[in-house]
Amino acid sequence: MGKVSLMFFKKDCMGCHACEVACKQEHALGVGPRLVRVIEKGCDFFPIYCHHCANAPCKEACPAGAIIRNPQGVVLIDSELCIGCQACVEACPFGAMQFEEEKGLAMKCDLCIDRLSQDERPACSLVCPTRCISFGDMHTFSERVAKRAMGEA
Amino acid sequence: MGEIKKIRTACRNCHGGCGVIATVSDGKVIKVEGDPESPISYGTLCSKGLAVTQMAYHPDRILHPMKKVNGQWERISWDEALDTVATKFKEVIAAHGPEAIVIGQGTGRDYESHLYRFANMLGTPNVLTAGHMCYVSRVASTLITCGNLPICDYRGEPKLIVMWACNPQWTNPDEYKGVDFWKAYKKGAKLICIDPRKGFVAKRAHLWLQLRPGTDAALAMGFHRVIMEEELFDREFTAQYIHGWEAFRERVMKDYPLERVEEITWVDKDLIRQAARLYATTKPACIHWGVPTEQTNNCTDFTRTATGLMAATGNLDAPGGNVLYVNPPTRTVAEFARHKELSLEQRAKRLGGEQYKLGARVAFITPKVAWESILEGKPYQLKAGLLCGTNPVITRDGAREAYAALQALDFLVAIDFFLTPTAELADIFLPAGTWLEQNHVADNWKRHGFVVARQKCVEIGEAWQDHKIFMELGKRMGQQWWDTVEESLDYLLEPAGVTWEEFKKIGWLQGEMVYHKYKERGFSTPTRKVELWSTTLEKWGFDPLPKYVELPESPVSTPELLERYPYILNAGLRTPTFFHSANRQQPWLREIRPDPIVEIHPETARKHGIQDGDWVYIESPRGRVKERAKLYDGINPQVVVAEHGWWYPEIKDPGHGWDISNINILMDNAHRTMDPAMGATNIRNCLCSIARVED
Repeated sequence: MGKVSLMFFKKDCMGCHACEVACKQEHALGVGPRLVRVIEKGCDFFPIYCHHCANAPCKEACPAGAIIRNPQGVVLIDSELCIGCQACVEACPFGAMQFEEEKGLAMKCDLCIDRLSQDERPACSLVCPTRCISFGDMHTFSERVAKRAMGEA
Repeated sequence: MGEIKKIRTACRNCHGGCGVIATVSDGKVIKVEGDPESPISYGTLCSKGLAVTQMAYHPDRILHPMKKVNGQWERISWDEALDTVATKFKEVIAAHGPEAIVIGQGTGRDYESHLYRFANMLGTPNVLTAGHMCYVSRVASTLITCGNLPICDYRGEPKLIVMWACNPQWTNPDEYKGVDFWKAYKKGAKLICIDPRKGFVAKRAHLWLQLRPGTDAALAMGFHRVIMEEELFDREFTAQYIHGWEAFRERVMKDYPLERVEEITWVDKDLIRQAARLYATTKPACIHWGVPTEQTNNCTDFTRTATGLMAATGNLDAPGGNVLYVNPPTRTVAEFARHKELSLEQRAKRLGGEQYKLGARVAFITPKVAWESILEGKPYQLKAGLLCGTNPVITRDGAREAYAALQALDFLVAIDFFLTPTAELADIFLPAGTWLEQNHVADNWKRHGFVVARQKCVEIGEAWQDHKIFMELGKRMGQQWWDTVEESLDYLLEPAGVTWEEFKKIGWLQGEMVYHKYKERGFSTPTRKVELWSTTLEKWGFDPLPKYVELPESPVSTPELLERYPYILNAGLRTPTFFHSANRQQPWLREIRPDPIVEIHPETARKHGIQDGDWVYIESPRGRVKERAKLYDGINPQVVVAEHGWWYPEIKDPGHGWDISNINILMDNAHRTMDPAMGATNIRNCLCSIARVED
């Protein structure tokens, strides 16, 4: 598999928030940081999540070099190096970067890296009842998009 | 870290059934995930189920029995607790008869078999459930109409789905988990949505009928009208298998011209025509309907009229239509509960039984008669009660009356996880186990053709699964039970030819589906036909044909109230993170929805100087509560939509803020507002005013 990421078919998001709770559970997070979240506006729902950008603006913005992109394409924060300046929070075009008040550190989606190492998909992508969350590489996504266009997925 | 185990089980955060894999480490559940092998949820799991560890291990959870002494809770042993309850119940029975004890539960939680068995063997006909206005009412209405509850056959690939007052992906979907609906829709099924509020389903629908809240029965009549006028009905089926088709047709043609239906429902008559045509001409088509249709004075008649639509179009028990599923051959709830053993003499004493005959037929009472019995002693006085997994102070119509009655009851036992506003009124508290702490044959009461294994993952504190509580209390009352819960499950599973130990390993059983069963043996009604003319209701003295009766409080029936209360309150909005009054304690869920929400149209809000996020008083002739405004143009400007189920566990006094945002305080619980045959309360609709809460 090539570089991996999440992809949300946003139109199919129906605002159940299951992805949020699956993520909280997987990362043992309390109230505060929401590494994936859904914003509601009437009957429209907008999933906010990390795209693991190739030229990640968060990475570019970080003055401490705390953000890296690993060989699989996963954009990660080294919390040892993070200085809590929140430049990444401001830089992320999706609003996906989170800040943990208690520790004073930035925090982000790590694509469930522990699960990936065991060949398991990210927690959020498994629970979605409309299957609007896809996980994979560019090949997987284009296959899925083509299938959807043909009404098969 | 010690041994890590993965246990396959089934959720019960709503009515449940979704497949779960629980990870257990050192005797503690550390994670739950959807079970991809589940035949009904396919690996998906909702926010409520995923947050179960925050419920099971919540610091506020009560993990030992307690008694109240001088207004303070004191820890006691199970022996003392059960002995106290048994002694008190025996005293009440000796002095007043078993009917003076009311046994109650809330929404369906897979222990009705045990709860009813306990009540029946006790000899009390007074079982107080949510059934009068939720699901069981649907079952009761369809039992007398076509013999069973006709379920959307998503597996049979419907070409059209009518989603009627239901949002199965957001909230508890009863038989279905939403995924099956979504699959059918994605395969290209057309979608008609009937909802006063533009939600996700309405947005996706080919046709959206935005009706005046609570007028569903009139709209269903409108569908019939079109189908009759345009002769779109199934001639063979209506001639052979419907009892009263001609009489019903006469009524629809006389009383429900589309102009009148439009006037009642606010839905454009051409749109009704288009929708009815689409439903009648697309085969197969199914109707998936939800609880708001039942929570009105038209409870029984909506369901009967909708069943009539399925029948008239030949979609009843047809693949992809609405079908009567065949369940696996386990013992039914009715058989396990020994309903037949409640004597005729005791049945005759069922509170409200003479009045609400259809409710009585399915063995529940409407709450009003319980409150009247307690507060006014009529026709006799309830002296003691046992409430399991229910919070009527928050969830029942006329909340102040419910609170006053439960406060006045001589002796009350609560079985729950937390000290809810209702449990705080009890004398004895018995700690129940969550679904992680129980063995059970889940979904045994549902009509989707499956039963699934809910397997115990852990034991926490001294909590017992509800089933065990009924067993052990029952034995103290001299009733016949088994030694262990698992033995009772063996009995339940016996006709299916498996033991609990075997079933646990198999995970689930499926009944063998047969369509068009009526061709062999007719429908299970007195005439063996679909009874649009109900011989049962006729025998009891009710109108045998369905009709629409105007809502008890509305711009039509009480125009004199409009000046003071100009808006229609559409109460009881469900959200995906909460199930009725549950889950407000769980940080993951509360973070997503911190406050109760009232939806107000932006134009309406502007008139009252209300901005998004303001706290707003909602007032009816019966009281006032506050919720937080969310401006939303997906509703009619004359309609206000409010969430239900709110109390505040973080408020530590015993009321836990039960009267701050409890929308049921606004509702009228008078007999005249109820469904005359069922006793369903009109809990979704009344008139209201709104005002910004000034700081």
